Amino acid sequence: MDFEPTIVAFLCNWCSYAGADLAGTSRFQYPANIRVIRVMCSSRINPLFILNALLEGADGVLVSG
Amino acid sequence: MAAKKIGVYICHCGVNIAATVDIEELKRFAATLPRVKSVQNYMYVCSDPGQELIRKDIKEKGLNRIVVAACSPRMHEPTFRNVLKSAGLNPYCLEITNIREQCSWVHHDRHTATEKAKGLLAASVAKAALLEPLEEHEVGVTPTAMVIGGGIAGIQAALDIADTGFKVYLVEKEASIGGHMMQLDKTFPTLDCSACILTPKMADVKNHPNIELLAYSEVIEVKGFVGNFKVTVKKKPRYVIESICNACGQCSPYCPIEIDDAFNERLAKTKALYIPFPQAIPATYVIDPQSCRYLRDKSCRQCEQVCKELQAINLDQKEELVELDIGTIIVATGFDIFDPRQKPELGYGKYENVITGLEFERLVSASGPNQGDIKINGKKPKDVVFVQCVGSRDQTVGNEYCSRVCCMYTAKHAHLVREKLPDAHITIFYIDIRAFGKGFEQFYDRVRGERVYYRRGNVSEIYKKGDKLMVRAEDTLMGKAVEVAADLVVLAVGMEPSKSAKELGKILKLSNSPDKFFLEAHPKLRPVDTGSDGVFLAGCCQGPKDIPDTVAQASAAAAKAVIPLAHGTVKTEAMVSVVQAEACRGCGFCVEACPYAAITLEEKKVRGKKKIVATVNEVLCKSCGACAASCLSGAIQQKSFTDEQILSMIAVIGKKY
Repeated sequence: MDFEPTIVAFLCNWCSYAGADLAGTSRFQYPANIRVIRVMCSSRINPLFILNALLEGADGVLVSG
Repeated sequence: MAAKKIGVYICHCGVNIAATVDIEELKRFAATLPRVKSVQNYMYVCSDPGQELIRKDIKEKGLNRIVVAACSPRMHEPTFRNVLKSAGLNPYCLEITNIREQCSWVHHDRHTATEKAKGLLAASVAKAALLEPLEEHEVGVTPTAMVIGGGIAGIQAALDIADTGFKVYLVEKEASIGGHMMQLDKTFPTLDCSACILTPKMADVKNHPNIELLAYSEVIEVKGFVGNFKVTVKKKPRYVIESICNACGQCSPYCPIEIDDAFNERLAKTKALYIPFPQAIPATYVIDPQSCRYLRDKSCRQCEQVCKELQAINLDQKEELVELDIGTIIVATGFDIFDPRQKPELGYGKYENVITGLEFERLVSASGPNQGDIKINGKKPKDVVFVQCVGSRDQTVGNEYCSRVCCMYTAKHAHLVREKLPDAHITIFYIDIRAFGKGFEQFYDRVRGERVYYRRGNVSEIYKKGDKLMVRAEDTLMGKAVEVAADLVVLAVGMEPSKSAKELGKILKLSNSPDKFFLEAHPKLRPVDTGSDGVFLAGCCQGPKDIPDTVAQASAAAAKAVIPLAHGTVKTEAMVSVVQAEACRGCGFCVEACPYAAITLEEKKVRGKKKIVATVNEVLCKSCGACAASCLSGAIQQKSFTDEQILSMIAVIGKKY
């Protein structure tokens, strides 16, 4: 029951990252488990990044763009 | 390479960050991170004293990489890059940690928010240590602007740009410029005649040496980038030669086909060979291709016979594509009115005495089909009912927003009815009255004093009873259902984004806000910019507006659009991709991955040997990094987003601290 996952998110600067900013401006509350890495486009995401995130201990990876 | 010395600056943002993130704890943590030589916190790091902290540290402590933990990089990255630059450091030696929008504003719990801030900050510091200085390049700018849409917003923007001395193309999809404002009778709250204030500006457009008007034309393709757009405009055939037609009008009466008069909101008829209205600019007739007999079945050429001398009519005219070099673009595509058929309970389209506000404008206008007489079927109405918020503030039709003009135009309509029909009973059903602009409240007060009965309530149904319409509503102040008889019902229809602008939005890669209007770059600080550099917004395409706000925004967009033109150069993206030729195997995967055709395979000499390598055109590169993800040998990297830099963030961002 105490499990708190760590989720590494790769977000596109122009859409999802901007959306996450908008969630902030709108003061929407969500759990703090997510750690965002900004990229300029989701096409930048190399499968290697996802595997590395999991290897470094992330419990989940979110790619959004 | 000099050793990396990192400075970390933590912003309180007043209490925006400090109330949720434990600044002292974050500061203590930052000092433990590798290569961090200085940690400071300040109430507002973006302010001048805050910036000075960074500048002073760079100079005195010899810092060469800076991390600012504050608001989103989408907010103040340019600000802090300039700080680095002014302290003599390369502006790309900066990393921003977003602890406001993506931390303090979205989490209540101080402990978890602080823990998250630590992870984010650790990732920024790790990346900062690997950042390399980048070079910005400059390219020239085509000193020409384009304004798309010829309503009052486009007209004002085009005139302002033209007055600064730059050339501007004004593209209008209809046969004449003027837009919706041309259809209005009087304008609130001053009751200026709309045509009297607009037509001189239209004439100015025609006569201005720096404006080239492309009417009856549409933008179909935009390539390139700020300063160097290539815009393809389709000039639709008018079948009347603009340079020859003198608008004498002799041809039109001979045209055998009658069509609905769009300018008069279909309350009157015009010919298939027509001029939208007498003051049209360009003053040229046009043939409606859907209804012209010749263009349908080649059975009639009467107009050609009438115009024998001038020979201005060319029924075989073809559409023409024009490619233009453009520096900056202003989008001013305006609005469509809400179609009240979406609310069948109001009876629009069923009863001819239920009309829209825009139809009322034509009805009451001296240049309209009735020469300004308010008559329905030849009779003057005795009971007039206005219904507010039709298609605005209405979730059932998907429009949650207020259209900002209907309260005041309805007050104006009521005033005009009172002026022309002194004995009429006038009732206005409203939800709330929004009289927010300069002079609005005073005008609303004046109209209330003119025997206009304001009733608070939503209209639920309009139906026919005898020769009257019955308007059924709940009067929410009285707390009871009421029915009001009417001879004329005017629906205060709201605004929706222009349907034809949807395609243009895709062409220019513009975003839309939830209300479907075009989205500005920042609602407060960049209200006329868009996410596409060099593309600006003016008027109702960005959201409902009245005329004063539209004109003000158009002038603002013009000023913004002129900046790159006046500057003469624009900076190209610095975070472009770069190829390490030795590692490149010339497979071309990156060429396929690049959505901007910025990469080509070229033969180059690498260490004395000829080989095929990928080559990046830095002007075309938009720094998406798709190429870097596609490269199997890691030979192509996006600057400031290299594999190494991103992996360094991944290694620390999720750790528990």
